[in-house]
Amino acid sequence: MNEPFRVRLAGWLLERALGREAAISILGDLEEQLAARGTRWHDRIWYGRQVLGCLFPHRAHAISGRNRLTRRPGGPMDTLGTDLRFALRTIRKGPAFAGLVALTLAAGIAATTVVYSAVDGLVLRPFPFPEPARLVGLGTAYPKLGTPLGFMENLSPAEYLDGRAATSLVRPVAWDMGNRQVTVGETTENLFSGFWWGDPFPTLGIAPFLGRGFLAEEIRSARSVAVLSHRVWQNRFGADSSLVGRRILVYRHPFLLIAIIPPPTLLYAMDLWIPLPVGPEVFPRNRRQFQVMARLAPGVSLAQANTELELIARRVEGEHGAAFPEYAGWRIEARTWNDINVQALEPAAFVLLGAVVFVMLLVSTNVATLLLGRSSARAREIALRSALGAGRGRILRQLLTESVLLALIGAALGIALGYVGVGALGRVLESLPIPVSGTLAVSGRVLAVTAAVAVAAGLGFGIVPALHALRMDPHRTLQADSGGATSHHSRLRLQRTLVAVEAALAITLLAAGGYLVRSFLELRAVEPGFAPDRLLTMRLSLARERYPKAAIEPFFATLREQVGAIPGVRAVATASQFPPGVFLRQPFQIEGTAPPADQLPIAFATLASPGFFEAMGIPLERGRTFGPDDRAESPWVAVVNQPFVTRYFAGEDPIGRRIQVGGPNGRFVEIVGISGATRNRGLDQPPEPEMFLSTVQADGVNNQLYLIVRAAAEPRALVGAVRQVVKGIDAEQPVYAIRTVEDAFARTQFSRRISTVLLGLFAAFALVLAAVGIYGVVSYASSQRTREVGVRMALGASRGSVARLFVRQALAPVAIGSVAGLAAAVGIGTAMRSLLFSVDAGDPATLVAAASLLTAVGLAAAFLPAWRASRLDPVRALRSE
Amino acid sequence: MTKGTYLGEFELIVLLATAQLGNQGYGVTILEEIGRRTGRSPSIGAVYATLARLETKGFVRSWQGAATGERGGRPRRHFAVKPAGLKALEQTRQTLDRMWRGLPWKTRPRAEGW
Repeated sequence: MNEPFRVRLAGWLLERALGREAAISILGDLEEQLAARGTRWHDRIWYGRQVLGCLFPHRAHAISGRNRLTRRPGGPMDTLGTDLRFALRTIRKGPAFAGLVALTLAAGIAATTVVYSAVDGLVLRPFPFPEPARLVGLGTAYPKLGTPLGFMENLSPAEYLDGRAATSLVRPVAWDMGNRQVTVGETTENLFSGFWWGDPFPTLGIAPFLGRGFLAEEIRSARSVAVLSHRVWQNRFGADSSLVGRRILVYRHPFLLIAIIPPPTLLYAMDLWIPLPVGPEVFPRNRRQFQVMARLAPGVSLAQANTELELIARRVEGEHGAAFPEYAGWRIEARTWNDINVQALEPAAFVLLGAVVFVMLLVSTNVATLLLGRSSARAREIALRSALGAGRGRILRQLLTESVLLALIGAALGIALGYVGVGALGRVLESLPIPVSGTLAVSGRVLAVTAAVAVAAGLGFGIVPALHALRMDPHRTLQADSGGATSHHSRLRLQRTLVAVEAALAITLLAAGGYLVRSFLELRAVEPGFAPDRLLTMRLSLARERYPKAAIEPFFATLREQVGAIPGVRAVATASQFPPGVFLRQPFQIEGTAPPADQLPIAFATLASPGFFEAMGIPLERGRTFGPDDRAESPWVAVVNQPFVTRYFAGEDPIGRRIQVGGPNGRFVEIVGISGATRNRGLDQPPEPEMFLSTVQADGVNNQLYLIVRAAAEPRALVGAVRQVVKGIDAEQPVYAIRTVEDAFARTQFSRRISTVLLGLFAAFALVLAAVGIYGVVSYASSQRTREVGVRMALGASRGSVARLFVRQALAPVAIGSVAGLAAAVGIGTAMRSLLFSVDAGDPATLVAAASLLTAVGLAAAFLPAWRASRLDPVRALRSE
Repeated sequence: MTKGTYLGEFELIVLLATAQLGNQGYGVTILEEIGRRTGRSPSIGAVYATLARLETKGFVRSWQGAATGERGGRPRRHFAVKPAGLKALEQTRQTLDRMWRGLPWKTRPRAEGW
């Protein structure tokens, strides 16, 4: 059937309302009639009305509008129809006004849609797992090591078994994460992967999209079975469902593909899951690189589970505290998976939600101001209706219908805009390493919230002017030529109040945006301790199957040499981590000292190649860095940073001293140099103690290293040449995580950055709305006082003094609102403290800037109509009434 | 007049239009008949809803007719008045006649000053 959309839509509607048989006859009749009528646009409208008439036959006459054969008047639905028709007619009569209102609303509603979608997808429902309140992760805290509660790479296999003993937890599962190269056909890709000790599907509470989960036996004996994410299966395997049950290559090793993870379930963006049994006999008790999740047992609360875990921690401390001193006072704590993963985003989310509420309030106030102007213009109409016997309730309903209709039109526009915004935000989020799997979408929930906000806003901004209109005395309104003097005064008073409210809201948003912008500027002024510009980084993971330990450093040495020879490369190095992503720590012991009782020494431990400090631009303060003489067989050496010296060698010279790294059986290294401090955890974190060990002396324990390239110009331009070099050394070796160090720093500031951008936009929008409001007040006031201006000027007032009069009167409410807004801004600053960086709530510079900006904009908005008023010809002004 | 045989104003009009058309009545012709005789154009939905009600009351019957090209290949649904419908029409007419009896032949609305 190749029929027009009109017919298909009508058929679909009619079939649902009346059944198939009736639908067919009616459609046929309509087509026959339409063929006789023609296809001009009013014929199409006739068609639409006929279809609607069939859906609501008892309202058919009301809708068709001309027929009164069987009209049953008086019901509430009936007046709704009348009100709607009337509202539509009003809108058609003043499209510019309606457009302005709808656009204002649309902007506010788009903001609501985008922010609520983001908060809903990232914070309220970050994971698509059922019963999220019962899915928990296990965190650990070691007061002796000074480490706070952590949930990543925080448990050893032995500790996992300790935690498993808890009867208040069921379906526990442990996993480690890393990278694997998966080969399909010709191409080898690096996939971020999870190595599971247990089957995660039942714990997550989801079923595979295709296939089945890991069997206990497959975990126990580390069978070569694999699970792929839906996105990889779709993008790289062409969504071929016959693939499940076939073999794929992981590190050139055949693995049976047993399942596809349902979309959009992504845990930490892991695209490949394979089993990895790790008994306590494989890893020592203090090798903590696993994370654990579980479900709360039926009927058990989180608090009960934590009581049991506390008992377990104390038991472990009793049993192993002697051999592992970090157990003194350690804690295991379960938290819900959502809490663990969205905590970092929560402050930004709630600040943005709060800001959106302010924006919507501001939009409503602004629209109320506009409608107020409108309702005065319609004062006569309302007075006439009231004089003809329309009840107050009836008129109120009519006016509210209009404002809600405007709100809904605005909402439709706003949601369309919101879709665009959410799409853009989603694309930004996809490229970021946030742990959340929730995809951003304008869901039904979001639409429901938005529609509710729109209706609430419609009622909110409609009620004030509507009530105001009703308060007017119809008798006097009808008598007066253009409304009564009193109504002007009361209207002006109301309009000024609204402007004061707008000013308060605007200044609060301006200050909130200002705090963030200032934080951002402060952060940009922070010295990272090295030169982050023009640095390109990428990661390479060498397959253990192909690169034994002895072959790893030679590979990277060749790579450094050849990449160094690329034109445009200033310096090159390899390292296990680099700022701002430094996170691996190692305990250590200074030779010849006893460990302090309260805290065990621990520091970031970074493997770095010769040339690392030069490539990164980290200054050497004393001693030397790794040189050509530091070979695998020569004495092992280390460079430590300034915070390391300050914390652990207060007042002593560390050069020449030896430290034992990695516990009682660790190796001894000699400190040969002191480097400057870097912001190793990001610009907003203080530099922390870090020790650098040479990759040359590392025995190839680390098969995953970053290649760091300092470029002479644009670093991204080198990617192709570097890839070429890698291919020349090993054609099958993929590189991944290609980014610049500047990007890496930007990512650490993600939630701050996005809040800054959004709040900045909201603040700008607020300024525009406030300006529109002020402009409206002044133009109305001056138009109503034409005669007075004429008198004043006839009596000798100068143009300047007339303009000043209007500006002064317009700015009085702005000043009052600003004071209230500044008080609110201090409160808001306190609430958003965790997003601020070296800026205090109530930061005077920010508040002064916000107030000045609003005043300046207010002056500009007031000046134009005031100036126009002062240009009046006094003679004509006096004649005007 | 028993309950169930009562005809509302619009029902009466639709039933009369159907009766006028004999066996030729279907949506379009019934609409046209009403339009021609009353000058009003009810919506097709209202007519179908009324016909459905009349069919339930047993006053009309319907059957599927021919499909034509201008209808997009959709068959017509024809309607014709059943004997019970004719009886109801007759009863309604008698009732109305009784109500008219004794009134002046030409009535005028009060607003025109009668």
